[in-house]
Amino acid sequence: MKIDKKEKAVVVIGTGPGGATVAYELTKRGIPVVSLEAGPRIMKEDYKNDEWPAFSQMAWLDKRTMTGNARVVKDFNGLPTWLVKAVGGTATHWAGATPRFLDYEWKTKSTYGNVKGASLLDWPIDGKSMKPYYVKAEDAIGSTHRGGRPPLPANNNYKVFAEGAKRNGYKFYATGPYGTNAAPYDGRPGSIQDGFNFQGDKNGSKWNPNVREIPRALKTGKLDLRPNSQAVQITHDRNGKVDGVLYIDTKTKALHRQEAKVVCVAGNSIETPRLFLMSASSMFPNGLANSSDQVGRNYMRHLTGSVYARFDKPVNFYRGETMAGFLADEVKNNPKRGFVGGYYLETLALGPSFMGAFLEPGGWGKKFADMMDGYRNLAGMWIVGEDMPQANNRITLGSAKDAFGLPAPNVHFDDHPNDTAMRNHAYKVGEKIYKSVGAKQTWRTTPYPHTHNLGTMRMSAKKKDGVTNKWGRCHDIKNLFVSDGSVMTTGAACNPTLTIVALAIRQGEYLADQLKKGKI
Amino acid sequence: MTITRRNLLLGAASTIAYLQLGTIQAKSDIKIASKAGDQKMVASMCRALYPHKRFPDNIYMDVAAGAIKKGNADTGSKIMFRAGLDGLQSKKFDKLSFGKQTKYLKSIEGSAFFGLIRGHTTVALYDHKQVWKIIGYEGESFSKGGYKDGQYNSLDWLPNPRIKEHPELQAFLNDSSSVKYASSKIIQSN
Repeated sequence: MKIDKKEKAVVVIGTGPGGATVAYELTKRGIPVVSLEAGPRIMKEDYKNDEWPAFSQMAWLDKRTMTGNARVVKDFNGLPTWLVKAVGGTATHWAGATPRFLDYEWKTKSTYGNVKGASLLDWPIDGKSMKPYYVKAEDAIGSTHRGGRPPLPANNNYKVFAEGAKRNGYKFYATGPYGTNAAPYDGRPGSIQDGFNFQGDKNGSKWNPNVREIPRALKTGKLDLRPNSQAVQITHDRNGKVDGVLYIDTKTKALHRQEAKVVCVAGNSIETPRLFLMSASSMFPNGLANSSDQVGRNYMRHLTGSVYARFDKPVNFYRGETMAGFLADEVKNNPKRGFVGGYYLETLALGPSFMGAFLEPGGWGKKFADMMDGYRNLAGMWIVGEDMPQANNRITLGSAKDAFGLPAPNVHFDDHPNDTAMRNHAYKVGEKIYKSVGAKQTWRTTPYPHTHNLGTMRMSAKKKDGVTNKWGRCHDIKNLFVSDGSVMTTGAACNPTLTIVALAIRQGEYLADQLKKGKI
Repeated sequence: MTITRRNLLLGAASTIAYLQLGTIQAKSDIKIASKAGDQKMVASMCRALYPHKRFPDNIYMDVAAGAIKKGNADTGSKIMFRAGLDGLQSKKFDKLSFGKQTKYLKSIEGSAFFGLIRGHTTVALYDHKQVWKIIGYEGESFSKGGYKDGQYNSLDWLPNPRIKEHPELQAFLNDSSSVKYASSKIIQSN
């Protein structure tokens, strides 16, 4: 449906897992929504199963700068993240891993105690209240191994991974839970093991909002979807309530304004706080909803790192589902290992194009070439662990300008000693796993540009500790919500998409109820 | 005025002036690394950076051509590239042993020239479709219906693993007793 720009609408900024889910929850309850998406709508037939062309097609490449001691700062300074600018958001290129938070991961401050230099905080919600929403999110995504849905079969990379895990005494390995259909489900086909989830799945077996929430919201007749519409400022009235969104038509460069009665922001952990900071006014000189000075702080990106191994026999690890292999044995908090929190190991394969660029940024020489020469015999895994929130890991407005003349975000990221200790532990475990099945050469790969971007608009029980309350509603501004992974108080060890969707379903229900009762 | 290599070596200031003149007068625009043997010299550096005995020379020549194109992108790049190429030529880099090549490359690792060639090569080489064939990467599979049973699971030198979750997994994940209020002194004492 077309919504008049003068009509005070519910405006959702961003169409990733958070934004699209909220938009669908509202529209299916009859509430009209304007969805602003900075990128284009790319359909599955348009996806390119070739790493660099796909990267150019969908990556968020707007100007960004970076500071801090994390290695990604040096290796990929203009590219702190690997995110997607398109309808469906970063879920367009997500692999599909859907583990849940563990119960105590909602309460890490109480569980881990004081960790020096970290700003741990308990979430204002807990595992018990999230449980029904996790079930809904798993059903929406179609997670394998859940709700009676079958597991994916073992592919080559998983065979190496699982056998290596087994030989080291680990037992909690499986091919999921994973957000790509093993068998037809929800109107989408089962996987054909074509191996390009990172480039958008041409077969449509993988969940992303552009194959489910967006088309269903459009079908309700209540969604006004505006692609190529990049929000640049949220405006407010004299009472401090938000009343509109300024956005640029990225094709014509024309500036538009949509009147709003409620605004939900889901632009990812960099663009969301950037928008709040760019919306500073005489009433809110430090940016919207920022009386606590917490907007942009506690930016997290998960631990990450990879271990690749070369064998003397063929693996062909690029065939089949990219990340359909999990190991959970190291996920539980066990400070005896020398760090708090835990991590998952997950199978991962890259094509030669990305492997050449990411195996060892800046790397060259014979050892590097040996790994690449043995590409057919490689296996690989990714480390996903909880990183420590730190107040100074933050998004600020930098002095550089983007293509529209607006301040580009600066991303500051320092590794915490806990992050480094955990990563080193995981590297050793990964190497042990591969050596036990005969690896001839192993490689510790440093973090890629961040794909899991969390925090910066954290939920908190007390106004002074965060930006949003337990519903993702801003403490300072009653009709302003945050609907993406930015609300994460702490990041847990698991891949974040399932939790983002679960939180967005919960927020959508709450917001619809509040609107119907006339409380907003 | 004809621009020769000698002009270029007169000094940075005059070089820039000549090059700028070159951009105005298209006929005089000089291209770096356009002499016979230049591309081969650059290709020898690409091979020394990422040595693959199985790769034929034409692949490294393709990669070198792309690097030279980047070296000709603008005046600054031309000057930088000229100096770098000069270094290779003065060492007769292509005639050196692999060990001596590596040693020389280490000595220039921080230079812009090295950065350009290395950065370009690691991307262009492993994105080269002929390389994919040699190292055994099949590329997109959607048009062929994806990888079939017997392909995505072709590995036959390890046993077939369990794919379902371990029956004790949920109990393991749900049990918070072992972690509750656990001591984290190691971290606190940092």
